[in-house]
Amino acid sequence: MSSLESKGDGGKWLDAHYDPVAGLYTFSSCVDLADLSGDGDSRLVVGDLGTGSTGMKLKVYRGTALMSESTLLDLPAGLVALFIDQFEPRIPVVAVASGPCVYVYKNLRPYFKFTLPTLEINPVEQDMWQQVREGQIDPVMLKEMLEDVRKKADVPLSDRSLRFLSLAADEVDEFVQLHKQQPIRRQTVITCIGTLKKSTADEDGISCLVIGTENADVFVLDPEAFNILSKMCLPAVPTMMDVTGQFDVEFRITVACRNGSIYILRRESEKPKYCIELPSHPVGLVRVGKNVIVGCSDESLQGFTQKGKKLWRIPLPAPITTMAAMELPARGLQAVLVGLANCQVQLYRDKNLLSTIKTPDAVTSICFGRYGREDGTLIMTTKGGGLMVKILKRTAAFDERDGAPGPPLAQSVRLNVPKKTKLYVDQTLRERENGLAMHRAFHMDLSRMRLAAARTYFKVLESSLTPMSCSLSEPLKMNAVVQGLGPSFKLTLNVQNTASCRPVMNLAISFLYDDNLYRIRNAYMRIPLLVPGLIYPIQTFVECVSDKGVSDIIKVFVLHEEKSAPLLTAHINMPVSEGLMLS
Amino acid sequence: MEVTMDPLFLAWSYFRRRKLQQCSDICSKILQDSPYDQAAWSLKTRALTEMVYIDEVDVDEEGIAEMILDESSIAQVARPGTSLRLPGTSQGGGPTPAVRPMTQSGRPITGFVRPSTQSGRPGTMEQAIKTPRTASTARPVTSASGRFIRLGTASMLTNPEGPFINLSRINLSKYSQKPSLSRTLFEYIFHHENDVKNALDLAALATEHAQFKDWWWKVQLGKCYYRLGLYREAEKQFRSALNHQEVVDTYLYLTKVYQRMDQPLTSLNLFKQGLDHFPGEVTLLTGIARIHEEMNNISSATEYYKEVLKQDNTHVEAIACIGSNHFYTDQPEIALRFYRRLLQMGVYNCQLYNNLGLCCFYAQQYDMTLSSFERALTLVANDEELADVWYNIGHVAVGIGDLVLAYQCFKLTLAFNNDHAEAYNNLAVLELRKGHIEQSKAFLQTAASLAPHMYEPNYNLSILCEKIGDLQSSYTAAQKSEDAFPEHADTQQLLKQLRQHFAAL
Repeated sequence: MSSLESKGDGGKWLDAHYDPVAGLYTFSSCVDLADLSGDGDSRLVVGDLGTGSTGMKLKVYRGTALMSESTLLDLPAGLVALFIDQFEPRIPVVAVASGPCVYVYKNLRPYFKFTLPTLEINPVEQDMWQQVREGQIDPVMLKEMLEDVRKKADVPLSDRSLRFLSLAADEVDEFVQLHKQQPIRRQTVITCIGTLKKSTADEDGISCLVIGTENADVFVLDPEAFNILSKMCLPAVPTMMDVTGQFDVEFRITVACRNGSIYILRRESEKPKYCIELPSHPVGLVRVGKNVIVGCSDESLQGFTQKGKKLWRIPLPAPITTMAAMELPARGLQAVLVGLANCQVQLYRDKNLLSTIKTPDAVTSICFGRYGREDGTLIMTTKGGGLMVKILKRTAAFDERDGAPGPPLAQSVRLNVPKKTKLYVDQTLRERENGLAMHRAFHMDLSRMRLAAARTYFKVLESSLTPMSCSLSEPLKMNAVVQGLGPSFKLTLNVQNTASCRPVMNLAISFLYDDNLYRIRNAYMRIPLLVPGLIYPIQTFVECVSDKGVSDIIKVFVLHEEKSAPLLTAHINMPVSEGLMLS
Repeated sequence: MEVTMDPLFLAWSYFRRRKLQQCSDICSKILQDSPYDQAAWSLKTRALTEMVYIDEVDVDEEGIAEMILDESSIAQVARPGTSLRLPGTSQGGGPTPAVRPMTQSGRPITGFVRPSTQSGRPGTMEQAIKTPRTASTARPVTSASGRFIRLGTASMLTNPEGPFINLSRINLSKYSQKPSLSRTLFEYIFHHENDVKNALDLAALATEHAQFKDWWWKVQLGKCYYRLGLYREAEKQFRSALNHQEVVDTYLYLTKVYQRMDQPLTSLNLFKQGLDHFPGEVTLLTGIARIHEEMNNISSATEYYKEVLKQDNTHVEAIACIGSNHFYTDQPEIALRFYRRLLQMGVYNCQLYNNLGLCCFYAQQYDMTLSSFERALTLVANDEELADVWYNIGHVAVGIGDLVLAYQCFKLTLAFNNDHAEAYNNLAVLELRKGHIEQSKAFLQTAASLAPHMYEPNYNLSILCEKIGDLQSSYTAAQKSEDAFPEHADTQQLLKQLRQHFAAL
């Protein structure tokens, strides 16, 4: 397999490791590479989501082996490695965002926990709970008042109030008794996390944490004291972010938000400076050089300048699962890796496809960087929990095939149109010569045919032979399905009311058959009220009582209670019963 | 003075004139007088056999049990072009389903209905036991029950006083020693009594008596094994028979075995081998053409049918298949020629006039179109044929823009054949033009459920739902249409449009 795969990507990658059962379930935001022990050997740090409700773990890989794992309390939303001090040896810490907290690990041991500040509480709400505690209002009244507040107030309700409002009437009292003593709080959670260099652009310079929250805020934290250095507000909830620059000099935070827009924040401004409105939801955000590359859910990749001007858009063959940047400064390579749902990972430099890697499973996270002592390492985890490590060959060269197309390929394909035969030409001659006679004959025949059709149609309508009725009061349709090999058959009649809004009532079904051949369990059935548009399957069993191997037609009538003529009729050609013959 | 003829000679004469009942009666009389008259006994067995004789070489329909409970298939997913069971493994650039309609099994419809061209292999048990198994298009439960059991009962009906030969009392080994009697006895047991086990015993004893050198007995052994479903043993016997004597029939039996084992390529090779010995043999050429047709290789099939016509220019199957192929490859004027040839040969039935009418219409010979259909209407034998004629008239009506007539015709089609999915589909389109959205939707749903192999109802339903804004239903319907006809460009475009719509903000 590996030889086949390497052919697929032009032999640019070495397959270093593939463990299809590594049990790693994670996304690109929770994967990072860092030299955690300061020995120049880079490790892979992964925030594993486990099953989504249990088994969340912080895992560290070294080489092909799992080096350590520690349990996380909640689902990780993001994971970054960063330097927060100047001590030698230079060891980075790992920051894991989960719930409302950032857990900071140093030497893989818990070091610090930062919790987001609580949010402002609606004074009216607080007042109400105060009154409840003092027994001044009962839960029913509280519910009414909270509903009122929820609709009108600018400050949203706390979690507890929202939960209270969603409770059923019999659970309310217990809930109030349990919780009324505690003060109410309003807490938000972290949605994304990033790092921002403090004052120097060095590789191992001290960095600040940048946090996006569910409350549509962005915080920049001080690396030493973990207090909030700066707070910025966004119009929508951030989902992905990319940070560049230095906090003390000038920086840019590019944030993709849940409303399908991308905002660009800069120093000295509380509000976003630029806004990019996307045609569909962003699923990946990567900065390459000075450009922002966004993958959208409409299977496209789009490039923007850092001021939000659109540069290009290319369609992709499949939906995007994940994206990551691939930067190799030593070789001057800056590109973007796009994981696709059709088990491919494509490498793009600007809008040009450089290479395609085929993977055995859809990739959910990609991370490119220095792993172990190898600079160009690509680490991917798959949907099935597999871990894949590939190393970029030193001889690999990416040539840019500019996909500027000429005329599309289909244009040169000849259509298989049959030639006009001599016979055809002869016939057209005949047509030209006898046009008038042919026309007359045709019209004569047509009139006769119309008459014949109308007569037969009338006869059919008269005896309601059609399987659909077009009367205005009961537009019905029926079709019958017979199943079975015999002597027992199951007969299913699918009756449907095709009116646009009126139900049909008082209908019944009866059968006409040769009672020497067949026995029907329910020869008369009442049909329930027919709601328009739905198909009502009405079933009964037919038994063939003859052993002569003959079959007959069973006629089905749909009747209206007050009318003698049937509304519609279906003829069922019964299959030959084979059961009796076999026995 | 009247000279009475020798009764045995009279019986023989009746037999040669195929007055089999009289022949059998006279033989019975002779046997009453002298029960040990071997000549009369032998003649009577032959007469009784001839009454129910079916050429074993003919194609037979695979039964439900044989298809669903198939143990001899090795590869579940065969490579394209190597299996008869995979529909849609098209090789030879035949027309797409957009041009040539499909049967339930995903093969283009043929010009000549014979067993196994109509329904093909059902995908599921559910499909296998559903209605299309009506009286006229019955697929038997097993091939042993469908045709042969009915033959067995036929034999009982002809002899109300009991069977002519009591098989349980007969001493097979004694008869196997007498070559003159054993063959007729075998055929009687095999065809008339349909008792394959006894037939096999007799054949085994006889071939032993012939010191395994008689090709005829080997072929009979093979036939018995084939009937019992022991294809590998049958193959061995036929092969060995071919070593003794090259006979066309043996080739045909052997290819039949290979087709049952789903090895069409081996069958083709064998046919070609047979053609080396019997150049220009029509049955072999027809066999090749049929296999090509079943494997969706329509152009090669047509080639071979043409070859057949060179040898036998009155071969109905070849003429009909070439004709329909020309019709669906946009040359109706040539198809017309072929169908006219059939007419000249004396084929005079509803289906032929039906085809003639359509060909005339599409070849712009309008003066003959409707008169052909009129004649077809007078020749119909059952309701289903009537439905087909009205359906085609409906097409003509749509072609000339007379939608009222078209509407009536399609309704008539449905009145005569309640399961006509194509008519439901067309009626739905007409209803939609009238603005009856609910009715149209209901008809399309019915059409889709009646004929899951058709892409048209699903595609139409998809467009309809998209127009009324029900994108979810539209998408599911479009996906079904894509399953039925993956290359359909319009479906692809619709799907793309819908996906874009879903992705957009």
